[in-house]
Amino acid sequence: MAEYRLDCLGEACPIPLLKTQKKMAEMKVGDIIIVEIDHSCAMKNVPEWARKEGYNVEIEEVDDGQWEIIIEKNK
Amino acid sequence: MQKKSAKKKKNQLLAGIILLVIIFIAGVLFSGKSPMLVVYWMFGIAFGFVLQKSRFCFTASLRDPLLTGSTSVTRAVIVAFAIATVGFAAIQYSAHIKGNPIPGYIFPAGLHTVAGAMMFGIGMVIAGGCASGTLMRVGEGFMQQWIAIVFFVVGSLWGARDFGWWTENVINRFSISDGINKNAVHLPNILGWAGAFFGQLLLLAVLFIAAEWFEYRKFNTSQNSDAQNASIQI
Repeated sequence: MAEYRLDCLGEACPIPLLKTQKKMAEMKVGDIIIVEIDHSCAMKNVPEWARKEGYNVEIEEVDDGQWEIIIEKNK
Repeated sequence: MQKKSAKKKKNQLLAGIILLVIIFIAGVLFSGKSPMLVVYWMFGIAFGFVLQKSRFCFTASLRDPLLTGSTSVTRAVIVAFAIATVGFAAIQYSAHIKGNPIPGYIFPAGLHTVAGAMMFGIGMVIAGGCASGTLMRVGEGFMQQWIAIVFFVVGSLWGARDFGWWTENVINRFSISDGINKNAVHLPNILGWAGAFFGQLLLLAVLFIAAEWFEYRKFNTSQNSDAQNASIQI
C-alpha cells in the first residue's frame, strides 16, 4: 500500500483532474493519492469524479485557498 | 492513513469587516452620482458571491461531460438559461405590448457567431475559465488568472477598436436576417412570441433530459462493469 503525492499547485482546471485520472490508472488497489491543489474549480471536479468512480475521498483545506484531496483506490 | 495536521489558517474576519465597510462606502459614493449605479454595484457583488460559492463555471458545463461524465454543472447552466428566458421574455413582451422598442442585445447571428464561439471555447479552456470565472478567480487570488485577465482586457480592447471594420466587412455579410431586423435575428419575429418562448423552453427541457440521460448512462455502465469486476475477483 503506497502513498503518492501529486503536486498540482498553480495548475488550472482541468489539469489537476487529468493528472489525477492518469495517476489513478497506474496505481494499485489500496494505494492512496494526495492531490495538492489551489484552483477552486478542481476542488469540485476532482472529488466529484472520484466519488462517481466509487473511491473514498476526503478533502482538507490545508491553507487559505489550498486544498488536499485524499483519494483511496479502494477497488 | 496518516493525517497531516492542518496549518493554522489566518483569521479573515477583520478583512471581511473592512471589505464590508468599503463596499458600503463605495455604495454611498455611487448613490451620489446615480441611484442605478448602486443597483449595478450590489448586483455585481451578489453575482460574484454566488459564482464563487457555487463554483458555477460555464467552461466546466461543456468540458466535464467529456472529462468525467458528470453533467451537474451542465444542467445548472441549462436551468439558468431557462430562468433567464422567462425573465427576458417578460421584459421584452411587456415592451412589445406597449409599443416600445424591444430592449436587450439583439445582435447579428451567423457564421461569425460559430467562429467566435470556437475561438472563445479554445481560449477559455486554456485560460482555465470563462470571463466570469476568470474574474472570480482573480479575486480568489489564483495568480495564473491574473495573467489571463490582463490579456483578456487587451484582447477585448483590440476587438473593440477594430469592431467597426469587422461589422462592415464580415459580420454584416455573413449574418442572417429575421425579416424585420437588418442583419439580426429575434426569434419572436420568426416563430411568434408564443412559439419562441415555449419553443426555447422546450428545447432547454430536452437538453436537460439529454444531459441527465448522458450522466445516468455513463454512471450506470461503469457501475455495471465494476460489479462484474467485483464478481470476478470474488
